[in-house]
Amino acid sequence: MSVTIQVFDPAMCCATGVCGPSIDPELARISADLEWLRGQGVAVERFNLSQEPGAFAGAPLVQQALQARGVECLPLVLVDGRIVAEGTYPARETLAALAGIVVQKPVAAAKACCPPKAVGEPKCC
Amino acid sequence: MQHLEATPRHLFFTGKGGVGKTSVATATAIALADGGRRVLLVSTDPASNLDEVLGVALGPSPTAISAVPGLAALNIDPEAAAHAYRERIVAPYRGVLPAAALRSIEEQLSGACTVEIAAFDEFSKLLGDPAATAEFDHVVFDTAPTGHTLRLLELPAAWTGFLTDNVGGASCLGPLAGLKAQQALYAAAQRTLTDPTATRIVLVSRAERASLREAARTAGELHALGVGDLSLVINGVFAARDLTDPIAVALAQRGVQALAEMPPELAGLPRSEVALLPFGLVGVPALRALFTGAGDMTPDLSQGPTTANVPPLDALLPELERRGHGVIMTMGKGGVGKTSVAVAIAVELARRGHPVHLTTTDPAAHVQEALGGPVAGIRVSRIDPVAETRAYADEVMRTAGAPLDPAGRALLAEDLRSPCTEEIAVFQAFARVVDEGEAGFVVIDTAPTGHTLLLLDATEAYHREVERSKGQVPEAVRALLPRLRDPEATRVLLVTLPEATPVHEAAQLQKDLDRAGIRPFAWVVNQCLTPLVVTDPVLVQRRAREAQYLGEVASLSERMVVIPWSADR
Repeated sequence: MSVTIQVFDPAMCCATGVCGPSIDPELARISADLEWLRGQGVAVERFNLSQEPGAFAGAPLVQQALQARGVECLPLVLVDGRIVAEGTYPARETLAALAGIVVQKPVAAAKACCPPKAVGEPKCC
Repeated sequence: MQHLEATPRHLFFTGKGGVGKTSVATATAIALADGGRRVLLVSTDPASNLDEVLGVALGPSPTAISAVPGLAALNIDPEAAAHAYRERIVAPYRGVLPAAALRSIEEQLSGACTVEIAAFDEFSKLLGDPAATAEFDHVVFDTAPTGHTLRLLELPAAWTGFLTDNVGGASCLGPLAGLKAQQALYAAAQRTLTDPTATRIVLVSRAERASLREAARTAGELHALGVGDLSLVINGVFAARDLTDPIAVALAQRGVQALAEMPPELAGLPRSEVALLPFGLVGVPALRALFTGAGDMTPDLSQGPTTANVPPLDALLPELERRGHGVIMTMGKGGVGKTSVAVAIAVELARRGHPVHLTTTDPAAHVQEALGGPVAGIRVSRIDPVAETRAYADEVMRTAGAPLDPAGRALLAEDLRSPCTEEIAVFQAFARVVDEGEAGFVVIDTAPTGHTLLLLDATEAYHREVERSKGQVPEAVRALLPRLRDPEATRVLLVTLPEATPVHEAAQLQKDLDRAGIRPFAWVVNQCLTPLVVTDPVLVQRRAREAQYLGEVASLSERMVVIPWSADR
């Protein structure tokens, strides 16, 4: 039984944030992670406050969070209608766990530029 | 008038700033209406002066012009369009979502991207949705100066391509699912633009080399966009009546020579010529006379020319060079000579031993051409939207894109292809150039007023966004607005001509700058006949008219200098 992950973003220009005056790498990262989840068969819905305020108004939990704690509560992440993260985008591993997906290999392995290093060695990137 | 033969439904008037696009477009609209057609005249210039020319206060929907039966006019005001766009999104949720949430939506929708899209939506409706203009036989577009207009004409194709290719499901315009209607509209606008039976584009030029060259470049770019039906209007053609007047002879000579050297891109186009008139083209009777020459147009000579001793451009130099570094920006309506004033200042600073970076934010400007050739001590560059956008996209992929997996990088690359990216890329390049003024002299020739205002609005909107931003903000971006507001760091020169519309537009620009907390350092009145002796009747009348406008400038400015008219501008 597949789960549904809903992300309620703060007001922003585009999902990756590349249109704004500064790049927030976190936005590029979460866009990539959500795309990955979709690829794993998870139903992902994403709503931008400045483009789809109706989705925020139509979700009672989101409404309540906004009333109680203001826009600082965004982003809100819901799994099957329950709030699982507030004010932050969970890491890919966390999202995978919430969706009940077993991650084949750790995400860090994707950084092919770095050879594996022992703990304490200086980082190359 | 060639451009009035077998007129298609849509007519566009474009050209370098100050060539008389508004006069020619308006006179054309009046001629069509006088011929019994129902005509809608539309200004797409963010700094439209259609209101002043017609003597009617216009809004975003058609206003009937009572002096011309059959004619209605409107202004596409980007800020007003963006406001309406915000209202459409926010209004249904007042009282539903908390005020703070609504405020954050409004702030987000105040950026350059929203402003451009909102204005573009209005433009697309007029061009792509026949129902929006069903009550008119013709829609005549008076456009902003070239750079801005080319961008507007490119957008239907750019957005259509982006919406077709984008698979990510979201874009700056909103969720793609809701955009099918928009996509059909943009595609229809693009079809209309490229259909020679539906749209004619009229290039307006003066009988001057620079103006004709720009028209030729525009013709080339329009061909590349697939626009089929082009025609040419030469405005302000002057024949000397008094051959003992050296200024008149030089002016006429310049025109004859420029037309003889007509660029090949223009030589084959249907061409009309409009004579230089001794009076200002404000009001319906004057505009009717533009094509017919009829009517009593005797000017008022009761006001003699001013003898006030106004200083020349060089008088500004001691104060400009005092700190040994800083930003000097020339601003004003298109065609008033911003580029030549910027070049003159840069040359004078270099002559005094200061290294200078001379650059421009005008996509259509050609500073290098104006400079003539390399000058010791002057480095020339331009903010090229295409190159800046590519560099910005590469930089984002190199930084934010680096840690992502291939699918994530593809998603990021896709968002970077959005036409919005150009706005931010140009803005960041602008911030970097202003930053250079901390260490040396930077002379910036800005784009014509409307475009520059949007850049400054973007600066304010981005400034607010930067203050609450979590991302990495370059220091140059963070410091941009405070630097522009610091009269010691940035000297703004408002360039104008001794004529009604340029002076009134510069006055409006001064007000807009004031709202942004920016105070012009000086006004430069370019191409003045006042310091010269003229005897040709048309020039005598034009010189007499200057007194009034020099007086207006004197009362509006803290410092004022004049540049005498010259044939080799």
